[in-house]
Amino acid sequence: MSNPRNLVLLIDDEPKIRRFLRAGFEIHGFSVVEAENSADGLKIATFNAPDLVILDLGLPDLHGSETLERLRSWSNVPVIVLSVESDEDEKVRLLQAGADDYVVKPFGMAELLARSDAALRRYFKSATENPVVMVGPLSVDLASRAVSLNQTRIKLTRKEYRLLHVLAVHVGLVVTHDQLLKEIWTGNQRDNIQYLRILVRKLRQKIETDPNQPRLLVTESGVGYRLENRLETSVAN
Amino acid sequence: MSRSTKAKSLIYPLPLFQRLADIRARRAEAGRAFVPGFDASPRRVTWTDVLPLLWSVGSVAIITAILFALDEPIAANLVPIAYLIPVIFAATRWGVWSGTLASLAAIAAADFFFFTPLYSLRVDSPQEAIDLLVFLIVALVSSNLASRLQQETERLRRREREIQHLYEFSKRLAACFTISDLIDAIRHYLARTLGQRAALFVASAGGHFESSPGSGAAPPSVQESVAAMMVAVGATDRSVVDEQTQDVWLLRAIGSKTVVHGVIAINVGRGTHDAIKSRARRIEAVLEEVSLTLQRLDIGKAMDDARLHLQAELLRDAFHGTLSHELCSPLAAIQGSVSVMREMPAVAADDRLRSLTEAVADEVVRLDGHIRNLLNATRVTAGGLTPRLEWSDPRDIVNAAVKARARRLAAHRLEIGFDDDLPLLNVDSGLVEEACGQLLENAAKYSPSGSTISVQTRHEAGRIVMAIIDQGVGVTPDEQRHLGRKSFRSPRHQASVPGSGLGFWIASTFIRAHDGSVEVVSRGQGLGTTASILLSAQHAIDSELVTCDDE
Repeated sequence: MSNPRNLVLLIDDEPKIRRFLRAGFEIHGFSVVEAENSADGLKIATFNAPDLVILDLGLPDLHGSETLERLRSWSNVPVIVLSVESDEDEKVRLLQAGADDYVVKPFGMAELLARSDAALRRYFKSATENPVVMVGPLSVDLASRAVSLNQTRIKLTRKEYRLLHVLAVHVGLVVTHDQLLKEIWTGNQRDNIQYLRILVRKLRQKIETDPNQPRLLVTESGVGYRLENRLETSVAN
Repeated sequence: MSRSTKAKSLIYPLPLFQRLADIRARRAEAGRAFVPGFDASPRRVTWTDVLPLLWSVGSVAIITAILFALDEPIAANLVPIAYLIPVIFAATRWGVWSGTLASLAAIAAADFFFFTPLYSLRVDSPQEAIDLLVFLIVALVSSNLASRLQQETERLRRREREIQHLYEFSKRLAACFTISDLIDAIRHYLARTLGQRAALFVASAGGHFESSPGSGAAPPSVQESVAAMMVAVGATDRSVVDEQTQDVWLLRAIGSKTVVHGVIAINVGRGTHDAIKSRARRIEAVLEEVSLTLQRLDIGKAMDDARLHLQAELLRDAFHGTLSHELCSPLAAIQGSVSVMREMPAVAADDRLRSLTEAVADEVVRLDGHIRNLLNATRVTAGGLTPRLEWSDPRDIVNAAVKARARRLAAHRLEIGFDDDLPLLNVDSGLVEEACGQLLENAAKYSPSGSTISVQTRHEAGRIVMAIIDQGVGVTPDEQRHLGRKSFRSPRHQASVPGSGLGFWIASTFIRAHDGSVEVVSRGQGLGTTASILLSAQHAIDSELVTCDDE
């Protein structure tokens, strides 16, 4: 999905992190520009029009979340946040502030590339493109609302489909509990995460090979859910 | 005031009473009668005792001289009134005995100088006898009233002074912020009001009491009792009789039920029971003020503790920040670089390079685990562990724990099982996941490569059990006792298996934060271990009860 000459902007104050990110992205055919602080980063984002921004949270001049806000005020370029904190609240805040996804340091290049791919795919997806999302044995036709597993149509309830639809639209990216609850329920049921947990269980029963160890619909602890787009993952980190 | 010579019944606490009995017995052996608290031998009469009496008689003489100098008819009219002046003067000035003496001297002088026959103490006419008798009665009554008035005035003045001292004392107490301020204030007050009659003993850092400098000295017997009060927690007040001087000492503890900051010893002398009681009352008033101040200081101490806690928290945050940044950033760079290197065709093609890269990757993951343990340990020890509860699926928790430790578990065969009817848990999924991961890591560490590690999650008897079963070295009963202690590492593994001893402690602390527990069962050395996380089902909600409102 990613254009071979996609331009990635790395905003991180650690030269060594930038170095490996540059190497990792370049191997996979990206062009890379670097910025070591928020001010430079925002400037480059304005003039070079990057296709993807990798944003570190601990910048010396401006906190990453503020940089994200400023960037989001005029651009909807995909942004992946690098965070050292495994604080769930912070992740949720960043996602609500407009980050497309996050990775927690330390992380492997494969993980970041998968997130980047997903973010780029979603960004460049046009209405004319094939509206079918394929993930392993699962295919979701967003236009005809048809879901099949290993080429066999499966029947989902309306809420199950709604859940799968939202996740498929963001395939590969995390979708927060809040976002899912608002998309699926109305009224005061929106606040009840228990409904969501049970609905996820029911959906997993229908789409996962082993519902006890889901590979497609994965949980992001304390944050939300993700429809996984790279199933070859296992120990690779 | 004059000392009563009549023995009144003294009510002393029992130990003192026994003590007195001892002293009395010893005294009896020495052939001397002894009444406790009172003079055994007659007091020596001093010049200051006699002077008021001389003055009384002298003042009568002065009035006589003045009357004598006046014309006789005037003098005769003035006599009865004039002689009341020295009587009342003496009574108000020196008390009832001087007044009585002045009355007698006055009647004698009047009879001698102004009543017929002159210059004789003889009284001829009955009229004069009645006059003299009436005068005597008036004089005695006035003297008595005057002396009582004087006593009352004196008492009020003393009381006022006491209140003044007490007021100043409480003002000083209000400015006390530490125990040592308080002790200083007490010392100052005692020195001002009681002087050498009071001794102050202050608890010192070494756990024993020291006589406060500047206060009076207490005899050895009193010091012994003070030492005894210090040892006994919740020390009761005592009275002690010093054997040498026969003075009664009152001992009062300064402090609360649990802590004794000091002891005040007051020599109340050999007074009557009432006198001792009134002095004791004064001390009680002081101690009441002191205990109020102590309560206030306790609040101050609590505030100090809170401040200290805050500082610890700031320190912890700083530690957190430093660890996160100074350790995690280089680690992120290493791990990221290794992950890129692994994908390089040159590395992938060369077996040696690939295995070296894998080794670096493994070690980085291990280092990351250690750092996370340290961070978790600081989180726990600083008291900052507040679970962020959220309804979670136990399957997600276990799967996340297994995924996070995938590299460490790669050499083992994993079996993961769940009951079908698992309810949701209202827990901090991050903490439970970390606890589960720690137990998984221990299982991998203490069981041979290739053996099976089984993770079984069950719903039983109102609780959720996550059991991690390995086929490893097992746990001996002795090790079992020490499990859960921070930094415990069994001597069996210290040399062979690396570790910090934090893992199990972190796991059990995280689970305890959810009112749950971690149980370790082993059939013995070499027979494997089952570590179970038990979470009470009061956190659980039955999935069937939650309707999805779905068609």
